[in-house]
Amino acid sequence: MSNEMVAMILAGGKGTRLKALTSKVAKPAVSYGGKYRIIDFPLSNCANSGIRNVGVLTQYESSELNQYVGNGEKWGFNGVRSSASVLSPKQTEEGSSWYRGTADAIYENLDWLERMNPDYVLILSGDHIYSCTYNEMLQKHISSKADCTISVFPVPMEEAPRFGILVTDGNDRIIQFQEKPKKPISNLASMGIYIFNYKTLRDYLIADAKEDTEHDFGKNIIPNMMADKKKLIAYTYHGYWKDVGTISSLHEANMDLLRNDETGEDIYSIFGSNRILSEDVHSVPQFIGPKADVKDSLINQGAQVYGSVDHCVISGDVRIEEGASVRNTVVMPGAVIQKNATVENAIIGPDTLIEENAQVNVGEKEIDLIVNRKAAKL
Amino acid sequence: MKDVLALLDTHNDPELDELTENRPLASTAFLGRYAFMDVVMSNFSNSGINNVAILVKNHQRSLLKHMGNMSSWVSNTKTDKLTILLNENGILNPAYNTDLANIKENDYLLYDSSASTLVFENPHIVAPINFEPIINEHRERNEEITVVYKKITDGDSDFVGGYCLELDEDGYVKEFRVNDGSKKEINASLETWIIDRVALAKIVEESKKHSYSMGVADYLRYVVKNKIVKVHAYEHKGYARNFNSLKKYVEYSFELLKPEVASSLFKEDWPIFTITHNTTPALYGTSSKVTNSFVANGCVVDGTVQNSILCRGVHVGKGSKLNRCIVSSGCKIGENVSLSDVVIDKYSIVTNRHVIKGDKDTPIYIRQGAII
Repeated sequence: MSNEMVAMILAGGKGTRLKALTSKVAKPAVSYGGKYRIIDFPLSNCANSGIRNVGVLTQYESSELNQYVGNGEKWGFNGVRSSASVLSPKQTEEGSSWYRGTADAIYENLDWLERMNPDYVLILSGDHIYSCTYNEMLQKHISSKADCTISVFPVPMEEAPRFGILVTDGNDRIIQFQEKPKKPISNLASMGIYIFNYKTLRDYLIADAKEDTEHDFGKNIIPNMMADKKKLIAYTYHGYWKDVGTISSLHEANMDLLRNDETGEDIYSIFGSNRILSEDVHSVPQFIGPKADVKDSLINQGAQVYGSVDHCVISGDVRIEEGASVRNTVVMPGAVIQKNATVENAIIGPDTLIEENAQVNVGEKEIDLIVNRKAAKL
Repeated sequence: MKDVLALLDTHNDPELDELTENRPLASTAFLGRYAFMDVVMSNFSNSGINNVAILVKNHQRSLLKHMGNMSSWVSNTKTDKLTILLNENGILNPAYNTDLANIKENDYLLYDSSASTLVFENPHIVAPINFEPIINEHRERNEEITVVYKKITDGDSDFVGGYCLELDEDGYVKEFRVNDGSKKEINASLETWIIDRVALAKIVEESKKHSYSMGVADYLRYVVKNKIVKVHAYEHKGYARNFNSLKKYVEYSFELLKPEVASSLFKEDWPIFTITHNTTPALYGTSSKVTNSFVANGCVVDGTVQNSILCRGVHVGKGSKLNRCIVSSGCKIGENVSLSDVVIDKYSIVTNRHVIKGDKDTPIYIRQGAII
């Protein structure tokens, strides 16, 4: 039996704009939503789509991410006929090199794909937050006899210059591709989600590897296929989708999980009927103390809240002590906010210590990031 | 630990009234995110015991559901062993459905297993017990049987109906006495036994001469009384509570809301492992007000919750007030509901504006799946 579609998740990026959050860990492994890491989303989406074999391409600060992905057991990929493989740059007879671009990362692992021998390859980013299945997109790819299908997301016209923009005809066939255009003529942004016919992809990757290019899907592979008049189709995604590139967008994506009385959105409407699978650590039960004041927040098991929490996302193993007040803040796993400290509009990094009586970002509008790892030694 | 077989013994589970009507205590919810068996299984795992068996009395569906793919507590999923032992003959003869009968039914354990020492622990007594020093002492002293006890000062209310130990000056058990609640200071038996394999085989042989209705605890009493085997006692000094009735279940669950009590059960180096469910973190709405409570993942709280325990996936609607309640997983509490001193079993629904008030000493129980 052939493997109908395998997924390859690009998880090697640094995420420079997340600053100290990604100084020791790859962006896909960054904590999100109290209990998740960003890569839980594409991996859960694959599991919920019935995709059985997944390759995760890692490079930058890969050890924590590699350990987290492991054999894929957290997303159920340890069953029969399933597998999750961490694919990092390797030494070969030709020598060794880092992945030179997104397309090169896949090219370097063509041996893995050959062993899987799928009909279709799904290429995903490891750092996007959205809950969906890829089945409908695959159906469209098959029924329109496409060589490549690209998932697109309608963005406001004024934001279009930040994205790779696709222009389609009346049948969703892609007729033009503009990378970060100054004058966009469409608002369909590429989500970096591609379905390729495997053999077509293989040919283009091999050809591209011989050339001196950026070895990038958006800049090289897709334009080359367009030039060859291959059939490229756009699949429009409707639903929640966030590319969390910056501290403020990561903060915003966390706050999106809270109950929004105006839009009626919260974590349940964002996740929909799909379960986002993750690591469940063996922390103690979540305890809300006798003098605590908790409202409008998302709090994971293992958190101990003795102070006041308003409009926050609180991860596991976090301790918020008596008299502390935390507002509009994301607190990552293991952080401790000591007595009478006040924190506003911030992201508190993993294992970070906010000391007694500290005032963090009080009255400031811009989201502040605090990372110090001092709580790990407590 | 080498040559040790640890047994989770569910045959002596007390009844927690309706709460254990259709499930053993072992798989009954504890503090919102655990089942009682998790504490025992984690003791075994944290003690480095990698050969574990579960003596199943009845209601195996509930037990197996909580066990999932059985990998929640084992260190190595291939080399560690976790065995389920059923006493099929006992199902039709409840009076003879004892732990000893179960072992007799599965006596290959005694003959085939490489284990020289067997450890028994009962899930209704919650205690973080490290078996390593106990087994080491048991082996160094060449004891045949060791029982674990705790010196308590509230014997008039805790461990009533259980056994307590009278000890001689060498630390051997002189007498197993049923705690009738007449004394405050007692040596409460934690129903945790370390038994040499040969000694257990002897007990099994001995029991064939007598009634099959006697369990291991009864035989320990018997061998002490008749001076057949000396039983050594080991003192446990940490947290231990006997959850042997619905009243105690409620009392001791709420007692763990005190941080100083909780910290004696939840210790950094002694994690309690449990099966995981991939539920989302708990979501608190803009009008929520929660104090002094355990809240499990998957809960959605828009109302007021005080001094309570919410299990997985409980919803509390706007304007509702809960005080001293234990709400089992999947329950939905509507809007403007008022509940105090209520224990609600799984998947129940309390619709808008209901007021249910129990008494501190006699909480009201709402059965599984009820719609009010």
